[in-house]
Amino acid sequence: MSLSERMLKIDRRIIFLVIGLCTLLPLLYPVGLPIKISSEVRGVYDHIESLPEQSVFLLSIDFDPASKPELYPQAIALLRHAFRKHLRVVTMTLWVSGTGMADQLVTQVAKEMGKEYGTDYAFLGWSPGGQAVIINMGQDLYSAFPSDYSGKSTKDLPVLDGVRSLKDVGYMVSLGAGRPGVEEWYVFGKDKYKFDLGGGCTGVMAPGLYPLLRSGQINGLIGGLRGAAEYESLIGQKGKAVAGMDAQSATHLAIILLVIMCNLFYFSLRQQRG
Amino acid sequence: MAAVQGGQRIFSPVLVAGPSPDWFNWNQLNNLIIALSFGGLVFYSISYAKRHEIFLRRIPGLDAVDEAIGRATELGKPILYLTGAHDLHDPSTIAAAVILGKVAKRAALYETELLVPHREPITMAVCQEITKQAYLEAGKPDLFKEDANFFITADQFSYTAAVDGIMLRKKPAANFFMGAYFAESLLLTETGASTGAIQIAGTDSDHQLPFFVTTCDYTLIGEELYAASAYLSKEPVQIGTLRGQDIGKAVVLSAIGIGIVLATVGAVTGAQWPQLFLDLLRDLK
Amino acid sequence: MIFLRRQLPLLITLVTGLLFAAQYYVPHPASEQMLTSATKWLQIVGGFALILGVTSLFHQHAVKIRRQEAGWGYSLVLYVGMLGTIAVGLWANGKESVEGTMTAFGWIYNYMMVPLQGTMFAILAFFIASAAYRSFRAKSREAAVLLVAAVIVMMGRVPLGEYLIPLSGDVSSWILNVLNSSVRRAILIGVSLGAVALSFKIIFGVERSYLGGGKE
Repeated sequence: MSLSERMLKIDRRIIFLVIGLCTLLPLLYPVGLPIKISSEVRGVYDHIESLPEQSVFLLSIDFDPASKPELYPQAIALLRHAFRKHLRVVTMTLWVSGTGMADQLVTQVAKEMGKEYGTDYAFLGWSPGGQAVIINMGQDLYSAFPSDYSGKSTKDLPVLDGVRSLKDVGYMVSLGAGRPGVEEWYVFGKDKYKFDLGGGCTGVMAPGLYPLLRSGQINGLIGGLRGAAEYESLIGQKGKAVAGMDAQSATHLAIILLVIMCNLFYFSLRQQRG
Repeated sequence: MAAVQGGQRIFSPVLVAGPSPDWFNWNQLNNLIIALSFGGLVFYSISYAKRHEIFLRRIPGLDAVDEAIGRATELGKPILYLTGAHDLHDPSTIAAAVILGKVAKRAALYETELLVPHREPITMAVCQEITKQAYLEAGKPDLFKEDANFFITADQFSYTAAVDGIMLRKKPAANFFMGAYFAESLLLTETGASTGAIQIAGTDSDHQLPFFVTTCDYTLIGEELYAASAYLSKEPVQIGTLRGQDIGKAVVLSAIGIGIVLATVGAVTGAQWPQLFLDLLRDLK
Repeated sequence: MIFLRRQLPLLITLVTGLLFAAQYYVPHPASEQMLTSATKWLQIVGGFALILGVTSLFHQHAVKIRRQEAGWGYSLVLYVGMLGTIAVGLWANGKESVEGTMTAFGWIYNYMMVPLQGTMFAILAFFIASAAYRSFRAKSREAAVLLVAAVIVMMGRVPLGEYLIPLSGDVSSWILNVLNSSVRRAILIGVSLGAVALSFKIIFGVERSYLGGGKE
């Protein structure tokens, strides 16, 4: 067996090791390369910036712990921005397995920003039904969520004063790792009840949501860890996403080098075989 | 209404108006007309296909179904069939269930073991019925196993881990991935590729297509998944539907083409009239 | 019997299919209320259907344990894990923390489910690399075009790529926004027409194979 043949049939655990090292080393020794802001991330940022104080900002944390590394930093950056703008922040989730994580996330950021539960923000928790919850919220928010995550009646929450349905929401962002996620919020929410919608998703899903962005169905998109890092840079509070960008840079470069290598071996093998 | 003229004030009679909800959303009329026209077109195509022969382009992925089942039979290994992440609300899951019937029938004929792990209990119950019927039609009802279709969990990655485990332990010779998929697609297909199985995927989840194309031997892209049952059964009803879809696509394509030409003419000449037609097309969406 | 197995399901499909298709065009509160009620019923039916799934799961693994088939230990782990989590969850009333103190259920969620799910998702990065190495070869002109586009997008999406090749960010953005979006729209149009055609066939009983039970 020639070298090219052997290299093309290399044990995939060696590739795993290369990727593992490319992730680990930059996390231990960060470089901190500058991050360029894309127009899709700026779309979400600019819209939140344009909202007047006390506007209602609805954040749906539609992911579970599996997508935490990419979407958690997005959620933190968005919440920090909304709290800093003194918006009334209403949070919820359509993914039952993400409920505990979402509660921790919202509580942690609110505490850090010195916000008070009930007055400045609320976490409505999870309600069964997926997309049906969105339709219910479009008709009557209190019927979809009669009580919040801690069991308090939502009608008694001052943060929801004047909010009856999705039509009364100033801006809504869904951070989705699948279904229900951004697309469902558009089809069953924005299309029917007309409110401004932005999105966030995992890096794998982002290319699939570009058609929504291009047609103006969503006014901004935060894609993957890169999107989170851009948002962190925009609000000037660098966190885990910016730290993770070095690791992502290294792994992307490693994959590109691997692809180039495999093609070199492939062509050399083809030449050998004539 | 009140009006003041000179020193004279005139009041109109008081009218009381109350809002009443509509029974039809007239803004959606164009949508309804398009939907009904398309439906009519599909049914006309079906009746046409019953009377005439219609040419059907071959899809390599579907030609490979027999090859994959044959290989599993030769090796004495099972066939693994997944119906995707969604429940039966999604047409892609229904398409996956319909194709399962064809695959199960051939698996029964070749007497090859079939494994169908599920993420959704109702889909599991429906697929059990479909599989049972396939074994009956193949004349092998005694070979049908109730637990060929089994439930694992609704959770995405727990399901993925369990199916990967089945692939590594049972080493199926043929893996079918039909229906809707998310981030689990590559985890499933890459594990399947490492066991050396023939892999055939069919999905309308466009965001996962790159992963399927890279790691599977054959991939049914988008609507090919819906077309698969027509190719496998060759029934006029199914073939007629395909023809209807093709005509529908031709109409959409023509609208896009006309729109591009009009927009270009408008931009180049600065004329206003193309905008009128473009607005009409926009209203029809 | 044939009525219950064939005609009745087809009749229910026809009536509900037409009703809910019409619902989309009717903005009246009664229509919206009907949709809400139906979706709630679906949730309830879905909840009961879970019993079907769990029964199948328990039955399959019980058989494995009883027969001591290869890998029966995993089935035992499943039983212990599932019953243990249900018991702990009921004990904690489904709460992960009570007055700031983590419950046993919260412990399972935070220290078992979160890292395990995170691990599964993280494996994706490793599998992408190995799949790219194994399959991303310029075997034809089309494959070469894909390869070049992939390399540009991978470079343009990370700071290091933009640092090394400054133009890669804009080019990758153009590829995603223009080429990628248009191709996806084309696929989407085909998929949507296919889905609508299939829905018509199901509503009008032309497609029946999903019901099982064969042809009359």
